[in-house]
Formats: sequence, C-alpha cells, structure tokens
Amino acid sequence: MSETAMTRREWLLTDRPQSRLQARLGRAYVAWRRFTANRLAVIGLAIILGLIVLAVFAPVLAPHSPYVGDLANARLMTPGPGHWLGTDDQGRDILSRLIYGSRLTLQVVVLVAVIAAPIGLLVGTVAGYAGGWVDAVLMRITDIFLAFPKLVLALAFVAALGPGIGNAIIAIAITSWPPYARIARAETLTVRNSDYILAVRLMGASPWRIVLRHIMPLCISSLIVRVTLDMAGIILTAAGLGFLGLGAQPPLPEWGAMIASGRRFILDQWWVAAMPGFAILIVSLGFNLLGDGLRDALDPRGSGQ
Amino acid sequence: MKSENITMRMRPLLAGAAFSLLLVSGGMAPAFAETPADTLVEAWAIDDTITLDPAESFELSPAEFIGNAYDMLVRLDINDTTKVKGGIADSWTVSDDGLTYTFKLKPGIKFASGNPITAEDVAWSFERVVKLDKSPAFILTQFGLTGDNVAEKAKAVDDGTFVFTVDKAYAPSFVLNCLTATVGAVLDKKLVMEHAEATTPNDEYKYDTDFGYAWMKTHYAGSGPFSIRDWRANEIVVMERNENYYGDKPALARVIYRHVKESATQRLMLEAGDVDVARNLEPGDLEAVSKNPDLTTASAAKGTVYYISLNQKNEKLAKPEVREAFKYLVDYDAIGSTLLKGVGEVRQTYQAKGVLGALEENPYKFDVAKAKELLEKAGLKDGFSVTFDVRNTQPVTGIAESFQQTAAQAGVKIEIIPGDGKQTLTKYRARNHDLYIGQWGMDYWDPNSNAEAFTSNPDNGDDASLKTLAWRNAWDIPELTEQVKAALLERDSDKRAELYKKLQQEALETSPFVMLYQQIEVAGVRGNVKGYKLGPSFDSNPLAPISKD
Repeated sequence: MSETAMTRREWLLTDRPQSRLQARLGRAYVAWRRFTANRLAVIGLAIILGLIVLAVFAPVLAPHSPYVGDLANARLMTPGPGHWLGTDDQGRDILSRLIYGSRLTLQVVVLVAVIAAPIGLLVGTVAGYAGGWVDAVLMRITDIFLAFPKLVLALAFVAALGPGIGNAIIAIAITSWPPYARIARAETLTVRNSDYILAVRLMGASPWRIVLRHIMPLCISSLIVRVTLDMAGIILTAAGLGFLGLGAQPPLPEWGAMIASGRRFILDQWWVAAMPGFAILIVSLGFNLLGDGLRDALDPRGSGQ
Repeated sequence: MKSENITMRMRPLLAGAAFSLLLVSGGMAPAFAETPADTLVEAWAIDDTITLDPAESFELSPAEFIGNAYDMLVRLDINDTTKVKGGIADSWTVSDDGLTYTFKLKPGIKFASGNPITAEDVAWSFERVVKLDKSPAFILTQFGLTGDNVAEKAKAVDDGTFVFTVDKAYAPSFVLNCLTATVGAVLDKKLVMEHAEATTPNDEYKYDTDFGYAWMKTHYAGSGPFSIRDWRANEIVVMERNENYYGDKPALARVIYRHVKESATQRLMLEAGDVDVARNLEPGDLEAVSKNPDLTTASAAKGTVYYISLNQKNEKLAKPEVREAFKYLVDYDAIGSTLLKGVGEVRQTYQAKGVLGALEENPYKFDVAKAKELLEKAGLKDGFSVTFDVRNTQPVTGIAESFQQTAAQAGVKIEIIPGDGKQTLTKYRARNHDLYIGQWGMDYWDPNSNAEAFTSNPDNGDDASLKTLAWRNAWDIPELTEQVKAALLERDSDKRAELYKKLQQEALETSPFVMLYQQIEVAGVRGNVKGYKLGPSFDSNPLAPISKD
C-alpha cells in the first residue's frame, strides 16, 4: 500500500512477490511471453482454438446436414458454390461432415489425454518413488505394452471390444499410457532424493502424500508437453482405425473413415479423400506446433535464459 | 486380418509403379504394346485359384478355366440358359420312373492327350469326385451317391453308354443342370491314373489311391476346346488350343490370363494394348473404358444376389407389416443409378436372371408414406431402433448407409455395426443379428439352389442340421418348404418353372428378405476382339468363339 502504483506488468514481473498467487501468476506470465515469442507455436494454438470453435458451433457453421445426402442427384459433385468442398459418394456435403467430424476428433483427443495421462503419471511416479520390486513389476508391464506396435495393439483391442468410437478411444488410451509412465518415472528419480522431499518425509508425510502432492506436480509440465506432441499421433491412430473400418460407425463423419470411403474415387474425384486428409494434416500440425512451443515455454531448464 | 489386407493392397500398388516405369520405356518401342494376333491376353485377379482339379475347385476364376478346358456330359445352352445341350453326351433318356438316366456318348471323340473318351472315363470321374469328397462333391452326392454305391449308381454299360441312377424321381431339369457344374467334368482316367499315388487307407479316407489328387492340383486331363498348359499361382494361366477337340476348332491358338489385381492398373494395360481384356474394372474405370473409341465392354448378370434380411427372432421385425414396410424403404432407383452402376442391377426376386423359372418383377419403389402407413398398422407409429451388421466392403457399406438414411425418414433408427466378413458372417450364422446385408451365390445353376436357401426351412430349432438362409433369419415356413420339395420332384419343366415363380411371388410379398440386386460381371475389351461374350456363370464364359482381327 505504501508503494506507488505499479503497472500490471511490473506487478507480474516483480522479483519480490507479496503472495503465492502473485508468484504463480508471474511465472505463468513469463511462460506466456516466451510462448508468444515463438510465432509457429501461436499458429499452432490458433489452429487448435479454431478446431474447438468449429466443434462447439458445428450446428451453426455447417451449411448442410452431415448425415443426410441426396444420393440420386448430388453424388460426387465437384467443389463449388453450394458445396464448397464437394460431396461424397452418398451425396453428403463434405464441408459439413468435416465440421461435425471435428467434434469426434476433439472428443478422441481429449478423452485419450484424460484417460492415458493420469494412468501413466500414476504408474510412473509410484514406480519411481517406491523403487524395488514395485518398480520392477510396473516397469516390466510398461515394457510389455511398449513392445507392441501401437496401432497393432489398438487393432487387437478394438477387434476384441467391437467397433465403435468409444471402444476406439479406450483402445488408444490403453496403448498410449506407457511412454508417460516412463517420463514420469524418470522425472521422479531425479527428485526423489532431493532435500525438500526428505524434509517432507521427516515431517511425517505418508508416501502417498509425497507422491501426489510433492512429486506429481513436478512431472506435470513435461507430461503436458509430451501429451500435446502425442496428440497428432492419437489423431492419426484414430483416423487409422476409422480407415480400417474399426473406429467410428457409419454414418459418423470421422475423418479417417471419410478417407477410407473416398479412396475408391481417388483417380477421378480426388477431393472426396483429399479434404479429410487435409483436415487431419492441419490439425496434427497444429498440435505438433503447439507442443513444440509448450516445450520451449515450460522447460524449467530454459527458464533462466 | 485388416493389416494383412493393407500389405495385400500395397503389392499391386508397387507392381503398378513398376509397371508405369515399363510403360515409359515401352513408349520408345511401339511393338511392346501389341499382343499376337492368335493370342488373347486377359488381365484378371486370379488369386482365388487354389487348384485346377474339377473335383475340388469351387472358386470363381478356376471355374472359367475348367469350363473351357474340360467337357461335361451336358452343358448350359449359352443362348437360353434355362436349357441344357449335349456336351460329351450325344443324347440321353430318362426312365419312366425318373430314377435312371442313360447317356449315349458322342462316337469317336478324344481327350487332349489323344486317349479316346469312353463311358468308363465318365463313370470313373464320378467315382473320383464322390470318393475324394471335396467341397463341390455335394452337387453329385445329393442324388444319393456314396463311396460304397457309386460304382453301381454311375456305371458304364459299354464304351458308349453311361447310366446314372438317382435315389428319387427328381425333375430331370434339376439333375441335368447339376451335371453342367464343373464338378461333373469328365477326366482322362488313363492319364490321371498314371500319376496317381498310393495312399494308406484310414478311417477318414478308405481308399488305397489318391485318384491323382496331388497331380491334378496343377495338371490337366480334359477334353475341352482349350487345354491348360501352365498355371503359376498369382501370376499366370496359359491355355492352348486343343487340337483333338471334337467340335469347332477355336480361332485362337492361345489364351493367357495375367494376374493383375488393381482396377486402375488393368485399365492402363488395356488402354496401352498390353492386354486384350480387363476383367476387374471398377465403376469409375469402366466408365473411362466405355468412353474410349478403341475399346468396348461386355457384361452379364451373374448368379449372385444381394439382400437385406430381417431376423424374425426380433419381435418388431417379425411383424408382417414391418417386413413389407422395409421393402418400401430402399431407394432402389438412386442406388441402381449410382452405387450399383456397372456392378449390379436392381432385382427384387431371389432367383438370378436367366435361371429356369426366374420371376421378372420389381414391384417395390421407395415410398416413405406407404412405409409409415404399414408401420402404423404394426403399432410402431413412432418408429424403433435396430442394429445392422454390415461387412466393411463396397458396395454393401454404401447401400447400408443409404438405407440408414432412407429408413430414418420413416422413423426407423438403424445403428450400423461394421465388421470384417468373418465377424459379421459368424454373427449371422448364429442368428444373433437384427438386420444383415449379405450376398448369396448360387451353388449350381438350378433354381433349387436359391429356392432351398431362401424359402425352405425344414427345422427352425436352434440346433437344426440344415441351416438355410430362411433358418438364419428364423423364418418358420413349413408350407413353402413343402412347395420347394415338390418343385424338385416336378418332372415337367414348364410346370416346374411355374412352381418356382409362385415361390418367388410369395417370398416377394411376405419374406423377411429385402432383395436388392443381382451382380453383374463386366469386362473391358479391345476393339479388335470379336465374339467376346460373358455367360451367367463363370464356367460358361466361353473362349472358343473369340477371334481377333
């Protein structure tokens, strides 16, 4: 109160924060500045935000129904006014299907991240902190999962569970947690013998409390980076399952399934397969750029520079 | 399963890439793109050929090779496929009790090897099929033949007379139609037995010879207009003119089938003149071929029909009004003009076009109002939900999606469950589906084949021994089953045809089968090829009449 009014920027960047909140906001602001300095990362973020907007406002934005087409009169029309990206083999508007398909893509990405990342985090930190036979058992299980090619394992799970977008998400989640476990374990090993952990232990904290409250937060930033970078892979896996007819059920406008059904027309009606292909390309690129930017922004080792 | 398919698909792509390189280099040497005047070269996916033995082969492409390289007692008349004409048999008579068929063989005819064709060869060929008992053997054993009695039932009386005894007084047209199948091919006994291997009899196989089974997989011992010189799996089949053939000599000296899987590759080869006939053209490529002035197309309806079936175990689908309503919910016209263009034609009766007694009627049109009215009568005014098992191949997926859209207009919510062929078929055979879209190919060229499948269900119990398509959909039809049996024993061909028409009419109105279309086989042909014609079955795609300018 005694000091004269600071600008908001000075308040955030002060090296003597008055409260925890101020310190946290200050750190976040620095990270944000570093992130925005990377132009490609901002483009990536814009793409992802665009995807979210498309998904949320799909019913408003889509010019036609994504499910009902005019088979007799509007089949395989070239891109042009009325159908900006053409129509598919059922006479459905491809643009509308892409817009509605963004919901599925987002659903897959978010759910896989929500399911797989916590599993990986928990397994990795517990293994890293506990050590001994717990570590050995958990890491060998992780090894077994890592030994399978991801898509093949996902295929096997979907074949067992039955086709459908829900089962595809479960299958992808089951196959994508092991790398997170590995990263979390590595991070845990670097901090488990630090002084502050020993201090917490001396104060009588239980192992669970230590893992959950004092180790996990330190692993999260690297995990977020990794998950973001993996999202492109998740989208591709989901599209691959859709392409093989094991992901979304028709008539859901899943992008991979759209490519699969357009493949037959690739010589004469290229746009049927190419448009969803572009969509997958752009969104995957967006997630990759965002992940790169986040890594630079969140990496604590780079923060001093 | 699926990943395997990818690698399978990659291979032709690579082959295609290698081939386009060849095309580029071939451009400098014009002679490259020209087939010899006395040789016909066909591009065809022949990877389903697993054996050349008529006693075992039951696939599509070998049926064409065997049909041209072997002769049967009687053959389908290609100009009127409801009738048969003499093959090796010159004439035949049926005894008054309908049990004994006496065939007089054409005199003085020879196998390609030069050995004379005798009734003994015919009898031995029948015996061989019955004793080897491979998949197509049922076509002969359904007449009451077993390994023990075949020597008595299929017997050579003298060199030129063969007597065939059946166990019931079947319709003669049924018996003769079955004998036109490739399994009825007459083999050169002397030649085959030279290559037969001794076997040790055991419980499953009671004979001390393999009847040349191992040798016949890849060799030839027939008497057709062409002989099979060479077969290399997934690569090539070479056929040569049989100089000992008794009929008109083919104009071509040689026919070569090259294994080419991708439609686009076949189209490129055909346009360049590297092949004379392309057999697996997809609709897009076919359209391009038909617009090319140097090329023509040939097509024929084949004996495979496609249908959507309604499981009668589902209470809602079992209502007669619902069954009828579904027949009004398919947009036949739109599907026919788009998805089926070049691969099939709309057909609402279950007998294939061209078979004896096939009913030519397509009374149903897409009519949502009518369907709604019927659903209301059934007490389902607000619609209902069902699942739909669909194999993830085209065109069935496309048809299923179109049906999903049109049915939704009448309030019927359809959830498509995609799967590979094995998954969906297993579920279908266990009667665990609601709706299923499937294909049905005739086992042999006689109306009984489809009549039995669609309108006969002797035992609707879960453990029935005979599991027809009607059984798979739990359609309990004791009356129609009796009618199918009666038609099989009707000896007058015209009356028999009427009986089958009646059965189809009944099925059209009441059956749980929404019949969709009949498959069409198409071929792109170079302009200088004359007389190229496709028949209704693969063993009736004749090579003999073809010539080249």
